Amino acid sequence: MWLVAARDLQFRRRRFLIAIAATGLVFGIALLLDGASKNINDETTRIVGLFHADRFVVARRATGPFTTTVVIPDGPGTVAGHGAGRADPFLVSRATVRAGKLVDVNLVGYRPGGLGTPPVDEGRAVRGPGEVVVDSSLDAGVGDRLRVGELDLRVVGTSSSIRFNFGTPSLFVALADAQRIVFGGQRLVLAYAARGPVTFDGSTLRSVSNAQAEDDLHRTTKSGSDTVSFLNVLLWIVAAGIVASIVYLNALERTRDFAVLKATGSSNRSIVGGLALQATFITVLAAVLAVGIAFALKPGFPFPVTMSSSSVLKTVVVAIAVGLLASLVGVRRAVTTDPALAIGGA
Amino acid sequence: MLAVRDLTIEYTSGGYRVRPISDLSIDVASGELVLLLGASGCGKTTLLSALATLLTPTAGTIHVGDVEVTGLRGPALLEYRRKTVGVVFQAFNLIPSLNARENIEVALRAAGVRRQAARARALELLDHVGLTDRIDHRPADLSGGQQQRVAIARALAHDPPLVLADEPTAHLDYIQVDGVLRLLRELARPGRVVVVATHDDRLLPLADRVVELSARAVADARPPAQVDLAPGQVLFRQGDPGDLVYVVESGEIELVRDLAAGGEELVHVAAPGGYFGELAPMFGLRRSATARARTPAVVTGYSLRDFRARRST
Repeated sequence: MWLVAARDLQFRRRRFLIAIAATGLVFGIALLLDGASKNINDETTRIVGLFHADRFVVARRATGPFTTTVVIPDGPGTVAGHGAGRADPFLVSRATVRAGKLVDVNLVGYRPGGLGTPPVDEGRAVRGPGEVVVDSSLDAGVGDRLRVGELDLRVVGTSSSIRFNFGTPSLFVALADAQRIVFGGQRLVLAYAARGPVTFDGSTLRSVSNAQAEDDLHRTTKSGSDTVSFLNVLLWIVAAGIVASIVYLNALERTRDFAVLKATGSSNRSIVGGLALQATFITVLAAVLAVGIAFALKPGFPFPVTMSSSSVLKTVVVAIAVGLLASLVGVRRAVTTDPALAIGGA
Repeated sequence: MLAVRDLTIEYTSGGYRVRPISDLSIDVASGELVLLLGASGCGKTTLLSALATLLTPTAGTIHVGDVEVTGLRGPALLEYRRKTVGVVFQAFNLIPSLNARENIEVALRAAGVRRQAARARALELLDHVGLTDRIDHRPADLSGGQQQRVAIARALAHDPPLVLADEPTAHLDYIQVDGVLRLLRELARPGRVVVVATHDDRLLPLADRVVELSARAVADARPPAQVDLAPGQVLFRQGDPGDLVYVVESGEIELVRDLAAGGEELVHVAAPGGYFGELAPMFGLRRSATARARTPAVVTGYSLRDFRARRST
């Protein structure tokens, strides 16, 4: 029966190629959206991990270190490390910069050399006021000047792993510069990154674990992330619909063939196997095409996309499941075909 | 070798119960070619379908050798279809995506024959039907006669003891018919029975035995006969062969048709001077309704020739 299925694929190759192209495009977009969704989740973990803290300290009424607007005074002893412990203040806000075009960015002020120093791909980290490390996606390189608020900062480094808040690029500046931009120079911060034993006033401050900090940051991107996942599911359904319609149309046209095969002793199982093989063939080829399409579209995709070998493998596995599911409509047609149709007039 | 006993086949069509085959018995010896002859609708294809196990009879039995065909189910049924019966379908019914060789191979592979062996057997059969130069051609690239020969080769894939051919000349021109008929004749040899359903009487010289499924022309020589009927008495039943046209002399005759869901439908009431039952003898069909006296009645049965003569006067 594999012979019949394979020859039928050749015989109706134009139709199958169109189906593979259409399904491949849908799978490719699904793969990109899946990569975008994965990136949204990954960037939260990455940005929290970047601080190398084992916990954060925030104002008692604050929601979390990356979303709060409740300030803490940046004074000696507010949060103090003991022995091997250390605590470094930071603040996270939003800003707008002109880097080729007007871009919204995350502004992170941290203590140079302290917890929260970002990894740098090119150049070096910030050593003091007047310097900035920028996201590598911005149209700004080492040595360029960047105006943020009233400050004119010199780009000293670029980093590719400092995006967060749905792929928003970030600027990492000295805490004093961030305080000038956000609080008009007042010595206020929004959180402390802490590692090891630290003390703080428990009546006004509280400790937040890394996991809680991630959850808090996830909350801001949840609706977007959920939308992407929902669209992804819709795309899989569209793909299943394309394959199902092709397989069903094929089964309709081959009704007499099925009747003849049954009348000459072919079992239902072998006929069904042939249809399932065709559907799987379409979807697996579409999945392979989708990987190429996704890699081709990735640079122009509006959101950063994380594609790994596991997501490619997942696409192939889901594609096979979609193919088998889609073949069911044709299978029903094949199974219910009366072999008596083979006999009689044309 | 082939024994059909008291075979009755009923099915539903358009809400009515149809019985194209009624109490049919045939015995065919090994090596014989049997012609099922009759007009369209007389039950030829229905009988072939039953012999091919594509249709389950309402009553009666079919034996091919020692095998009781009507009782086959599941794997035994598949095995019968694969190895005991080979069918040459009316419209060839070759699979369009496969070439001539592959159309035969598929029937062999379905029965578990290995690829190399299936290929060798397919080539042997194509050689037998004179198509060695067409093995890689798809059906669309073959003439009607060539397609029919591939279909015959497919039917012979397992060297079956029973070969059925449904209207094998229906889609062929007279040049193509010649080769196909010769081939069919050759197939009937000891150990095999060939059953051909056709309305083409050019095939008559080929046959060892002819089964006439239409009831036409038998009664042309019979004189008109008067029949007295009591109320409720049946003159003929739906599905009976019909050879006479009836004219009502007195009383009323109701014509009723069996419904598939049970019960009857009144089709017509024939009053004195009226007539009924002309279609069955005219077209060689079975009675399409039951004729029953509503009141005490007298009818006269005429042969078709006598009825026409009476009408013209």
